[in-house]
Amino acid sequence: MAMFPVQGFVDGDFVVVLALVDDTDPMPVVAEKIAYHSVGKRVAAQDRPLKVKRGGVVQPDDATLASLGAAPLDVLEVVYA
Amino acid sequence: MPALPRSEWYDLTRDMNWDLTYVTEDEAFPPALSNSFGVPAEDWWTWDEPYKIAYTEYVHNQAGKDQGLFSVNNVVSRSSIFENLDPGWKAAILAHYGAIAVAEYQASIGEARMARFGRAAAWRNMATYGTLDEMRHGQLQTYFPYQALNKEPRLDWAHKAYHTNEWGIIAARHVFDDMFTANDAVSTAIQLTFTFETGFTNLQFLGMAADAMKVGDLDFGALISSIQTDEARHAQQGEPTLKVLVKAGKTEIAQNLLDKMFWRAWKLFSLLTGLSMDYYTPIEHRTHSFKEFMEEFINKQFIDQFRDFGLEKPWYWDQLLNEMNWVHHAYHLGVYFWRPTVWWNPVAGTGPEERAWLEEKYPGWNDSFGKYWDVMGDNVRAGRPELTLPETFPIVCNSCQIPVCTPAGYAAGYLDSPLPYQLVRDGRTYTFCSEPCQWVFEETPEQFAGHLSIIDRLLGGLIQPPTIEGALAYMGLSPEECGVDGNDYAWATATASKTA
Repeated sequence: MAMFPVQGFVDGDFVVVLALVDDTDPMPVVAEKIAYHSVGKRVAAQDRPLKVKRGGVVQPDDATLASLGAAPLDVLEVVYA
Repeated sequence: MPALPRSEWYDLTRDMNWDLTYVTEDEAFPPALSNSFGVPAEDWWTWDEPYKIAYTEYVHNQAGKDQGLFSVNNVVSRSSIFENLDPGWKAAILAHYGAIAVAEYQASIGEARMARFGRAAAWRNMATYGTLDEMRHGQLQTYFPYQALNKEPRLDWAHKAYHTNEWGIIAARHVFDDMFTANDAVSTAIQLTFTFETGFTNLQFLGMAADAMKVGDLDFGALISSIQTDEARHAQQGEPTLKVLVKAGKTEIAQNLLDKMFWRAWKLFSLLTGLSMDYYTPIEHRTHSFKEFMEEFINKQFIDQFRDFGLEKPWYWDQLLNEMNWVHHAYHLGVYFWRPTVWWNPVAGTGPEERAWLEEKYPGWNDSFGKYWDVMGDNVRAGRPELTLPETFPIVCNSCQIPVCTPAGYAAGYLDSPLPYQLVRDGRTYTFCSEPCQWVFEETPEQFAGHLSIIDRLLGGLIQPPTIEGALAYMGLSPEECGVDGNDYAWATATASKTA
């Protein structure tokens, strides 16, 4: 397990933020950690699950940043499914 | 006064150019400090400007300006005008003083470099006045806020700001160092005096002066109007420098210098002036929107000047027009949400009447930007104002050093992608907010690659502890200095007036 800084934003928000995740976090946890800084603060919450997009592709829930070979400061987009 | 008419002595006494024999051209004018871009020395001697002022006249004029200005300041500083200013206007002038005052002093370094390493005597003469002008501006814009310290202690950021690592100041220093503090004389003339002063300072100094008089801030209005009279004169160093370059077939070089600094100036002014004009100035005193000022001063008047010299619009022109619709709205959201990181109290400027004004000036604003304020307003009304405050940091651009707001441009329908631009160079990842910002970086990467953004510093362990509190301390902001909502959240509970 290692702390992993990423650039993240929730679809519809206005800014890219720094989020600290763990490289073994599954994608729903990564999404939550990014959304924490946005949903309910600037973006209205929705009753749908959050997904992570990397390089424009939605990642499977069981993927982790380690399994994806992600690099620090990779850009992750969080979207509602 | 001289017995001869000016036309019979001025050029003779001013144009003391001569062929160098004891030293080489490069020894007298080292390229790093001067940079003729290959234009022969004699070609520079055709350099001329229209003001043709003598030193005695300069001193006489400046003394008169200062006399008038200090009279106003003397009266105003004894009055309660400052106390009665609108909180939004106070935010605008606190931001202005911090971002501009010491930068003016640094501009005197750039002017002094032209006064020594400018390629013609006429130019060096003009730049000497420019040096004195900028010293005057630095002194005035630290003295005036100093006079009001007993009314607002954070006015000391007029002097303090540039000695801190506050994020906005890192952004301002990054562009101003590039523009004049560490630039060669010829590039300074194109990038500071032509691009920045002829173009953009009109926005801050004429536009804000008009707003200041309407707001009733006689002190600030008189101050920046007086400064602008100096700017109008010494900005004239740009045109003749441009003419010499173009005549020598160096149009491409001039265009490149201009394109780079025009974009950089745009980014800074959209942060500083964009917020002041469209959010901080009380709605009843606004003369124009920021976009309208940009369209008048930049898109019409300044672009006509480009064309007069055979230059073209910058290659990214469509992207600039695009950003004029949205980017400063995103910056305002960012400054408001991260308000503890600035030395003024940002007002939201999004009460019902302000929102109607924004919708009129920027059709679609309510759908694109109002939605963020709706969520924040809900939190305030529900008694959860802490949800309108940050627990992390925005990613900042490795070129302009301003938060990356590409998602806002995408969400508002102005960008095709919400993703920032990224570049990997020598194993390091650089992030940019726009294609032109990446282009500026890649034009001279050796100049910028070693710079650490505030986020790079955080991740590199330079900010300890790596928390919001640690970052505020790193930025020089004590708890008493951190910005808070300038109107105590009145925007969230206001209802539209019956006359609106």
